[in-house]
Amino acid sequence: MHLEVQLTHAPIPASLPPPAAAAGAGAWVEFRGVVRGEENGRPIAALEYEAYAPMAEREIQRLLTALAQPHPCLAARVIHRLGVIPAGEAAIYVGLAGRHRAETFALLAEFMDRLKLDVPIWKRRALVQMPEAGRTDLNPPPVGAHGGTRPTPASPASAEEVRTLLARICQPLDTERVPLAAAAGRVLREPVRAPEDQPPFDRSAVDGYAVRLDDPGPQFRVVDEIRAGDWKPRTLRPGEAVRIATGGALPGDGLQVVMKEDVHAAGDTLTVLRRDADRNIRHRGEDARAGAVLLAPGAVLTPGALALLASVGCVSPTVTRLPRVLHVATGDEIVPPDQTPARGQIRDSNSTLVRAFLASWGIAPEQRRVGEDELLSRPEIGPPGGEPDLLLISGGASVGDHDCTRRWLEAAGFTLHVTRTTTRPGKPLLVAQRGRTLAFGLPGNPLAHFVCLHLYVRAALEAWSGRAERTEFAPGVLAADLVGEAHARETFWPARWHLQDGAAMLTPLRWRSSGDLTPLAAANALLRFPAGAAGLTRGSRVEFLRTECGS
Amino acid sequence: MRVLFFAHLKDVTGCAEMQLDCAETDADGLWRQLLAAHPGLERFRGSVRLARNAEYAGPDTRFSNADEVALIPPVSGG
Repeated sequence: MHLEVQLTHAPIPASLPPPAAAAGAGAWVEFRGVVRGEENGRPIAALEYEAYAPMAEREIQRLLTALAQPHPCLAARVIHRLGVIPAGEAAIYVGLAGRHRAETFALLAEFMDRLKLDVPIWKRRALVQMPEAGRTDLNPPPVGAHGGTRPTPASPASAEEVRTLLARICQPLDTERVPLAAAAGRVLREPVRAPEDQPPFDRSAVDGYAVRLDDPGPQFRVVDEIRAGDWKPRTLRPGEAVRIATGGALPGDGLQVVMKEDVHAAGDTLTVLRRDADRNIRHRGEDARAGAVLLAPGAVLTPGALALLASVGCVSPTVTRLPRVLHVATGDEIVPPDQTPARGQIRDSNSTLVRAFLASWGIAPEQRRVGEDELLSRPEIGPPGGEPDLLLISGGASVGDHDCTRRWLEAAGFTLHVTRTTTRPGKPLLVAQRGRTLAFGLPGNPLAHFVCLHLYVRAALEAWSGRAERTEFAPGVLAADLVGEAHARETFWPARWHLQDGAAMLTPLRWRSSGDLTPLAAANALLRFPAGAAGLTRGSRVEFLRTECGS
Repeated sequence: MRVLFFAHLKDVTGCAEMQLDCAETDADGLWRQLLAAHPGLERFRGSVRLARNAEYAGPDTRFSNADEVALIPPVSGG
């Protein structure tokens, strides 16, 4: 059999002529495997593939040769594309020529099955958004490349660019099964289907009497009583009625339930006073048919969703595991909150802020306080065994003499993706990666902490969680002037939002310095103030991000 | 010996390849050295196949210093 095998980073051509060796073929079969627009229930823009190229080519040839024994064909052409492949484009092309269609189809089917078992090609990751051309700092190399070259210092990034980067490099974490009692707020990762029709039998929607639809009455004899939970199938004869409670299983088909308010009952004699077309039955399968997807992957397990799972007996749903988080508060000037600071010292409020923020995600971080000198003297700061998924380092991130977070990250082999942002507060922000660990260097002051946690850390947590819906900026209306605040950089103001006449009204909570804590106590939103804007007056349209716990 | 890592194993080891200096050995001996260098690989050992010079290794395959060895986690092409 004539073989052509090709691994390429270029798009696979839309049409390819059969190879010359296919002359005389009775069948020319082409297959294209196309990247779908969703992965694990989440919309994606692209998939990234990698291969151990020399071995992959050899394995494909070996496979085709082996499969040609039972299914003799004339020619085969296989092209597998590698790298980033946008949704809708082909990842693999197989063209097969044979004398007859039977062996050609058979070879194709078996080849595709075996390819997925033996050929060293991997779907590396799903990309939520396409990489931006020319922004090498926001297009990080495959993780783990730190062993070689040190990346060039990243150029300043906007808040949106950092959020996009995080959404891309944080792929949904592994799954685990948890009992329902521990599943609140977690993200479902498997479809949950109705095991049987919902409701599983015809049941009465009211308290009343079941009679035959074709029995005009109005006199009936009550022959039985059905309560919710009873199962008493029977065939009603003309003139018979069965008393039935709301939720009770109908005794048979072809019935109607007359509301008890519409009858006069004396002993077992029933007189129907009023009868309309409504059968007052909730029919089997009315809510969902057996096998129908009740909850899709990516659903957040709210109290209502958990109740639905309980109702179908799904008692240990498969959810995304929680990330392991290590938070390190650095700085020589902080003391624990229960101590009285000496002159020049301050209480550590960031550790409490971080803990409470993570608690709304069900995450309990490991927390430490480390002096700057101590930090720099240690190559590892985590507990022994088990790299955290998320490392948050507070303080020590200001450019200058106290830039110890960055020095520590570099010394520990982290690749720095973001070293400066164009937004305030929140400067300087560090985003770095080493293996599976994502690290943030957060500016030491509490306001910047608050902003960075909600803008960036939340973006990472949401991406890791695999949830279908992400928190995005929402449109709102300024409830007070925000003038005289023109600044060259995009600014985020803590704000308070409330609904008024269907619009989200935002009251900015001004801060004087980014160490100012008082606005945070009242904030339930972050208000985006565009770069270069001269000022916004009351009634201006703005964008905001909600910051309520768990939102 | 040149050892190659692919897919999520790169995240585990933090590198795409490494040099290993080793006398001729079998798969068990090779795994001992790999785990000494990257203990995080332990939990993936059950699902990873070894390849020697771009061919899957068999139970009797011996590995020597001149070989290119690849750790092949479950594949997902197509």
